[in-house]
This record gives sequence, structure tokens and C-alpha cells, in this order.
Amino acid sequence: MATTRNQPSARRFWSWFIPIRRDIGSWAFALNRITALGLTFYLFLHLIVLGLLAQGPGAYDSFLALTENPFIKLGEWAVVAAAILHGLNGIRIVLTSFGVGVTRQKQLFYGFMVIAIVVILFFTTKMYIG
Amino acid sequence: MSKPHVIVIGAGFTGVATAHDLALRGCDVTVVERGDICHGTSGRTHGLLHSGGRYAVKDKESAVECIDENLILRKIVPQVIEPNGGLFIGLNESDLAYAEQFIESCEECHIPLEELKPQDALKLEPNINPKVLTAFLIPDGTFDPLRLALAFAGTAKHNGAKFRTYHEVQGFVMDGQGNVCGVKVLDRAANKTEEMRADVVVNATGAWSGEVTAMAGLDAPVKPTPGIMVAYDQRFVQRALNRLNVPSDGDIILPQRRMVVVGTTSYDAENVDYIPVTDDQIKLMLERGSELIPGIRNSKPRGIYMAARPLVGGGSGRSMARTFKCYDHKETHNIDGLVTITGGKATTLRAMAEKTADVVCAKLDITTPCVTKETPLLSYRQYYASPN
Amino acid sequence: MSEKWNIILRIYRQKEGEAPHMDNFQMEVNPDEYVIDAVERAWAFHDRTICFRHACHHSTCGACGMRVNGVEKLTCITLIRDVTYDGATLKVEPLRNFPVVSDLAVDMGLFYRKMEKVDARAVLPVTEAEIENPPRKWASEDSEYIRLSDCIECGLCISACPIMATTPEYLGPAPLAAAQDHGIHRKPELLSIVDCEDGVWRCHSAFECTAVCPSFVDPARRIMDLRKQVVGTRLSKLIGKA
Repeated sequence: MATTRNQPSARRFWSWFIPIRRDIGSWAFALNRITALGLTFYLFLHLIVLGLLAQGPGAYDSFLALTENPFIKLGEWAVVAAAILHGLNGIRIVLTSFGVGVTRQKQLFYGFMVIAIVVILFFTTKMYIG
Repeated sequence: MSKPHVIVIGAGFTGVATAHDLALRGCDVTVVERGDICHGTSGRTHGLLHSGGRYAVKDKESAVECIDENLILRKIVPQVIEPNGGLFIGLNESDLAYAEQFIESCEECHIPLEELKPQDALKLEPNINPKVLTAFLIPDGTFDPLRLALAFAGTAKHNGAKFRTYHEVQGFVMDGQGNVCGVKVLDRAANKTEEMRADVVVNATGAWSGEVTAMAGLDAPVKPTPGIMVAYDQRFVQRALNRLNVPSDGDIILPQRRMVVVGTTSYDAENVDYIPVTDDQIKLMLERGSELIPGIRNSKPRGIYMAARPLVGGGSGRSMARTFKCYDHKETHNIDGLVTITGGKATTLRAMAEKTADVVCAKLDITTPCVTKETPLLSYRQYYASPN
Repeated sequence: MSEKWNIILRIYRQKEGEAPHMDNFQMEVNPDEYVIDAVERAWAFHDRTICFRHACHHSTCGACGMRVNGVEKLTCITLIRDVTYDGATLKVEPLRNFPVVSDLAVDMGLFYRKMEKVDARAVLPVTEAEIENPPRKWASEDSEYIRLSDCIECGLCISACPIMATTPEYLGPAPLAAAQDHGIHRKPELLSIVDCEDGVWRCHSAFECTAVCPSFVDPARRIMDLRKQVVGTRLSKLIGKA
């Protein structure tokens, strides 16, 4: 009997990235992965910056100048937003992994995302308006 | 000495059961099928493990075949069966009048039956029509069509049979003297044709028997007779449910997983490759089904389908016998090397295979006796799980 | 008189040694038919080289699973009305994460081997099949009724699971659900099979398996319950030793 193997393709590897037509659980999964990648990237960046700062006060001043850059500020906003989303969804994952609320996982996701949006709006106003 | 090679055309119930029997008797078997296991009629069968009660009055030969094979299948392949028995219920005067001959005929065919009072029937099956006037318990059952075939196919594969699915027979290979000595197949998955040689070719294509024998220039007396099935999305009963009367349309309801399946109708058809479903047949199943189980009116159809039974012999529709026939074409048309097995019911697949294997082995001088009655089948998963 | 729609049926084609491509078939369909009916007609009347798998046409055999417009469906119970509209396209592709035999037919070998590994129950007492709204309340004698189990081994969950896309070693939703259906307390040998890197801990909670399952198995819930069983068993073993 002829058997042809499905070749792994770039499309298949990245198919989780935008779970088009998938149910909300897959969107939560994608969100968690993307925020995880973002936060990991930020972590490395943070360590690199700390390393630079260890080189003395001059490096510190030039770093402070950087933080005024609106793109950097947006990046910082993104990091905090990502942490909030990832953290709250993470609580949902922990709960369902212990069998709590598995049959209500969609409602859990929507509920936590509402909280996330409220918190993000709150800290956004704090961050940009003060 | 090498084993004789038998090619079986068709991987429905008849084909896989025959492959299983022949493999156990020492043949090298190759099954060729243009689709996959149970692509034709076998896949879309109702799934009734017949007790024979339905045929006891008018078709005693089939009835006895059914009850005998019913007990054998319960022993050798319980993994695919819901073995909860069945009820014949009477709802009106005509049904009641049928009861006496029903009882006599079942006893004649050694089909065990037990008469129930209406209230006891309702206690066993609360969802049947509350106006039930009389009821009989008989050893019907439900089976999963594909998995029944997979169990036979997987066991045959384990015993050396080869399965070439997506291989369509396009013609026979003839020797110089007008006998069949092989088949020409198209591998549909690879778009390649090849020739396969065999000592005997078994035509187990059911409703397509005539189309296949035509490739050798002869016809088979099979009459494709389609019928409709409608599956509803609630498991209303635990047992098979039959109408206590002569066989008619929509008088069988079977539970299967979380559904019940109502069937069926019976009419002639020409084109067997695709049989359309018609609205009037769907309506008829709803009408007749809700006579037996009123709750069906409040449930949704889950699947609706048609397939053609391979009926042999004279008459048409419901008057045709449900028995099976095996033709050695050396005797019918002086064309050696080709045997056709057709007709029959899913419940009698093992018996059909035994008869066919007897004919084939006689031609090949194989004297090994048939052991399929006592041989438990392997897990149906073996068909896919074991390598090709 | 039944409605008539005109659609384009787009089918994935792949023959051995050739590059895959899509074929378009202009077809008239009744929207109250099922997707498998359209595929079967395309084979019967338009192109006899199409390879696809089907058998029971009523969601008991699990053979006709395919991706319809990108989402896993059991095509015999999927109404055309629910997946497309008059004048539109209906795309049909084989399941993901299975090797393709040809066109829409895939190789079920590895999947069935995994189901055998956990010795998935094919039949079980009717009272053990967790139904939320049984047609009537179970009585004690109902446990003598046997029925075919919910899982029809269709493979939709395997196709939909994002982890299955990363490795074929992962046991997968259906086998894990079947292991949970047994229960580790009833079948202790399952512990080492599911408590491993490619067992119950590989799941990352996408819940897509439950979303596509056509047969009420709810594999996601069962995987989480299996985790509880594993943790509980390991803990009691630990305490038992101490």
C-alpha cells in the first residue's frame, strides 16, 4: 500500500501562531506562547542592560536617556501587559491542570481577560498620564 | 511447497471474512479493494446482529443461519457488539394477529424467545410506545459495522493475508484457455497499474458482483436493493426494537453509542456507486420510527445514508430471500479460476466465508478444515496497528 | 422540494511521487446533505481517482474525519449548510499530523498502535459512559447493558492538537482519554505509560481536542483528570513507602 509522508512544512510548524478558525482555547494557548517568547526575550535584554550598567555611571546616564524614547516606553508597556496576560492565563492553566474548572475553561479565560484588560487600562493611564 | 495464492476482490464483510478463513486454511491471500475497508454496502449496514426473528416466518433458511451465526459472533468477536438483546413489540390488531405464527416459527428455528406483558416491556424500555400491546424478547444485538470487518481483516493480516486498499480491479488476466488466472489492478494512490496472478480469484464485491463478473464476460444474478437509514441523536433504548409483523419499511430501531438508527426501505436501483437520499424516505423513517419510539419526534437526525444490499435469487424487494449463494464459475460458465460469493447478511459473514473457502479449497486440493467457528478474533485495531 | 446550492468543492490531491495540489469541482448540492455526500459524488461523477475513507455515515466508525475549511470535522455528520453557503467554496483536506496515503485518506497505523498500547475499551457498561443527560435515570440493573464506547478513534483530536504537530511521540488526546477511561487504580500498568514526557505532561492546555471531538469524549477534561490520578497515585506510593 502506498504511503506518502506529510512533510513538515513551515506552515505546519507555525500553524499554532495564528489559530484561525480554532476555538478560544487555542487562542489562549497562542497568547500564552507569544507572551512567553516576549517575556523571555525581555529577560535576556534586561540581563544585557544590567551588564552594561555594571560598567559605571556614564553607562547609567546614557541608559536613562534611552528610557525617554517613546518606542522603548511602548516596549516597557508591552512587557507589563504581557506579564499580566501571561500571569492571569497562567493561573487558569494551573487551575485546569489540577482539574479545577476544566469544563469552564472558556469562561475562566474570558473572566481573566476582562480582569487583565482592566488592570492594563489602569496601569496604562498611570504610565502615560500619571 | 509454496502456498496457493488466492486473490479476494472486495474488502467488505464477505471479503474480509473469506480472507480470514482462507488464511487459517493455509492459503496466501491478497485482498484488493478500490476503496478502504467497508467502503460499500458493509459500511452502511444497519448493524443488527440478527436473532433471526425477523425472518422466522417467511424465510426460515435465513432465520436459522442468523441465530446460529449470532451465537458464534458473540463468542469470537464480543469487542464490536452491544449484546443487549432485542424486543419485538405489537402495537395494533394486525401485529397481535402475527404473534402466533411468530412464536411457532421462532421455535421451529430454535430462536429463544420470551413473551412479556406490556407493563414489563415498558419497565425494561420506558421510551417505547406506551400503547404496546405485547412484546417478545429475543437475542438480537447491535454491532459496529467497520470494526466487525476490521476484526476479521486484522486477524487475517496477522495470519499472513495482504491487503491492497485503493487498488481497483480493471479486468481479469486470462490464460490461453478462457480461464481466469489473475487480475489487472490500478493502484489509485500511486496512479500505477499492475497485474497480479492467482490460483483462484474470489469475487466478494456484493452489490457490484455483476459489474465484476462482466469483466469476464458473464453476469451474476445479484439485484442491488438499496435502503435508507436515519440515525437520531439520543439513545432511547438499550436493545434492538422490531415491529411485530411481516418485514416492512422503518420497522427496526437499533441503539448504537449515543444514537438510535431507524431503518429501512427496500427498492430496486441501477447505479450502485452513488444512491441519493430522498426526502420522502427520510419522512417515512420519522413516521415509522416514532410509532415505535414516540420520543424520536423530539430528537435531531445525526446522519442519513443509503446503501445497496446484494440480494440474490428471484423476486424483488422484500419478497427476495436474504440468503447467500456461492458460484464456482467453472460449473456455471466453464470459466475456471473465478468464484463469486454474494447475497447474504452481515450477521452471516462467517458462514458465507466458510462456504466460499470450502469451494476454493476444494479447487486447490486443500483439506484443512474450517476453524473459524471456534477461533476468537484479534483486536480490531490490529488491522491498522500491524505494519503492511 | 429540496434547496439547491452551487458550490466549488476544493479537494486536496496527492499521489505517490507527485507534488500535492488542490482540485476544484463545480457542484450542485443540497445544503441539508452532509459533506461526505459531496465528496462521494465528486468521486462517483467527476473524478474516479479521488481516494477518501468512509464507512458508516453516522458517526460510529470514525473513518471519514477530514479538515473542512481548515477545521477538523466528521464529514458524515457535518451539514453542508453549516460550513459554506450558496456560491462559495468548500475546502476539504486530509487530517493533519497523520501521514497521507493519498488525497484525503491518511495512515492510522501509529494512532491505532497508541490506542492498543493503552488497551482502550471498545465496549463498556452503559452506566460507566459518562452522559450528562441520559434519556432516563440509570438504575442498578442498567450496569448489565453493554454499549460501544464514545471514542470512535476518528483522529480529529490528534489533528487539532498543536502539540501533536510538534512531535508524533506524544501519546495524544484520544489515547490519554482512553487511559483515563480505564483509570490507573483499575489498570496500574498505565501509570508508567502515561506518567512520562510524552504522556500526560505534554499537554499544554489548548483544549482544541475537546472543541473538535464529534463524540462527546471531552479528552481535555480526561487528560486533566488523569493528571490528578497520576499525582494521587505517586503521592500515595510515596506516603506508603515512608
